[in-house]
Amino acid sequence: MESLTSGLASGLASDLTSSLTTGLVPALVPLVLAGLLGWTGAVKLFGRGTVRQAPKTALARMLRSSERTVLVLRTVGAAELVAAVGLLALPASVGSTAAAAPGVAAAALGAGFLGYLARARATAPESSCGCSAGDDAPITWRTFARAAAVLAGGAVSAACALGAAWMAEGSTGADGAAQPWWTVIQEQPFVSLGFLLLSSAVLVGLSADLDRWWRLPLRRFRLRLFGHPFNSAAAGGSAVPVAATVELLERSLAWQAASPVVRSGLVDHWAEDGWRILQFTGVYEESGEEGGAARPVAVLFALDATVSTDTTAEPAVRVAIVDADTGEAVAAELLSPAVRPALPLAG
Amino acid sequence: MTAHQGISSAVGRRRFLTRTVVGGATIVGATALGGIDADAAFAAPQPSLDPAFAKSSFVEGRITRIDGSVLQVLGSHGDRACVQLTNATSIWKGEPTTAAAIDTGDGLYARGVPMPDGTVAADAVWVNIVNMATTIRGIGKNRLHLSHGHHEIVGNVFPGTTNASYAGQALTSDLSKLRIGQHAQVLGAWRPSDDSVDVVRISVGH
Repeated sequence: MESLTSGLASGLASDLTSSLTTGLVPALVPLVLAGLLGWTGAVKLFGRGTVRQAPKTALARMLRSSERTVLVLRTVGAAELVAAVGLLALPASVGSTAAAAPGVAAAALGAGFLGYLARARATAPESSCGCSAGDDAPITWRTFARAAAVLAGGAVSAACALGAAWMAEGSTGADGAAQPWWTVIQEQPFVSLGFLLLSSAVLVGLSADLDRWWRLPLRRFRLRLFGHPFNSAAAGGSAVPVAATVELLERSLAWQAASPVVRSGLVDHWAEDGWRILQFTGVYEESGEEGGAARPVAVLFALDATVSTDTTAEPAVRVAIVDADTGEAVAAELLSPAVRPALPLAG
Repeated sequence: MTAHQGISSAVGRRRFLTRTVVGGATIVGATALGGIDADAAFAAPQPSLDPAFAKSSFVEGRITRIDGSVLQVLGSHGDRACVQLTNATSIWKGEPTTAAAIDTGDGLYARGVPMPDGTVAADAVWVNIVNMATTIRGIGKNRLHLSHGHHEIVGNVFPGTTNASYAGQALTSDLSKLRIGQHAQVLGAWRPSDDSVDVVRISVGH
């Protein structure tokens, strides 16, 4: 059993080594990078969102002009597209140092993006980066990671092209020579597909502007699959929360009557005998007396603990205003029914 | 006073206050104050608006220091204020609480009466209160993923404490009708330690 396991492990290791030496990764990295640069470049160059998005970018803050920002974004987009086409059309297998140019250009773009992002993060962290038009997400670690991926991908592509050029100058043999990406895909379709899918998934994960296409649908699907995490039974069923009672109180006539006295927010609440008691503090200034003393009071409301604005619009509310120190009831006149004079009758 | 004595005295005071309000208190219903029809215009004048209101002042900012019951506050515009807490001050930090729950670094919004010495004697203090328009981006076991403008915010949810309101209905503790993609108004308490928000009330569908 042990020999079988070790045999499998060594077989896998040798497969991996051979796939690396035969140039699967060096051949496919430019392809993935070209896909990324082609997408962001095309969106910047041709997208209608570029003009709309330009004023929101950190670049607009730096250049202090929306028009100049649009021009720069379109130029960078064109450069990205050219680099993408170069990466696709000039694989390392060409065997010339010229094949390194798209990789160098991509690496330069990546380095430029990183520098711009660092400056933008320092000067205008709330702005969007403008990395792809239509993207209004702010600059986060994902934006930096994607720019770093462009730099690393460009460096790998350029290094592989230069290595292939030196090997082509030094020998005539075909063994170990770099292969273009289309040959690699033909020869190792499944491994290539796996690599492309994996690297694309990583890049999509690093692109905040693509979140709405995969993150929300994925989360919705997960809820559908595993159920809603907040089920109604666990939340205490139909019990009326204290906040709902306070809401009901604040819409009541009792609240209107007592509000001249109430000064605080909710201080305390408790339930007793089916009542929900809400306690506020306030100041009662006795009227009718010259310089009437202001007394600190506790304002108490008692409501049925089972009703809310859904069940009644006019709750019966018991109100008491008591002196905070002595407990003596005060302000009875405030809560007593208004006495209305009879209206004179016509005729 | 020991903690036990404190609790038992609080319970005793609650009992006393319950008797005050439930036994023999005025019942204010729709008819007690007079109708709200046109005749009411001829009724005796209603009490005026809160006389203290004109004298109220507001303080907002971050708490830089706590000296006993005085909070030193640095306002958003660089102004400084002292807020004096009293026995009558209501303190909210996600729920009604006590002064012990207030920490240095917390955000504060206070309403009170200015004192001659320049402090504000607070009637009500709301600590770390936030009220924001958001979109629900994800629903987890104990949390909501919310977006507010450019910001991704984690909303901590406490079953039984967090309430929801659907389409203007009364608040309920049932959160099972929240959906990803809904616009939601969130009232909550911000947590400075991890920049998340404890969701107190979430209103959707209006």
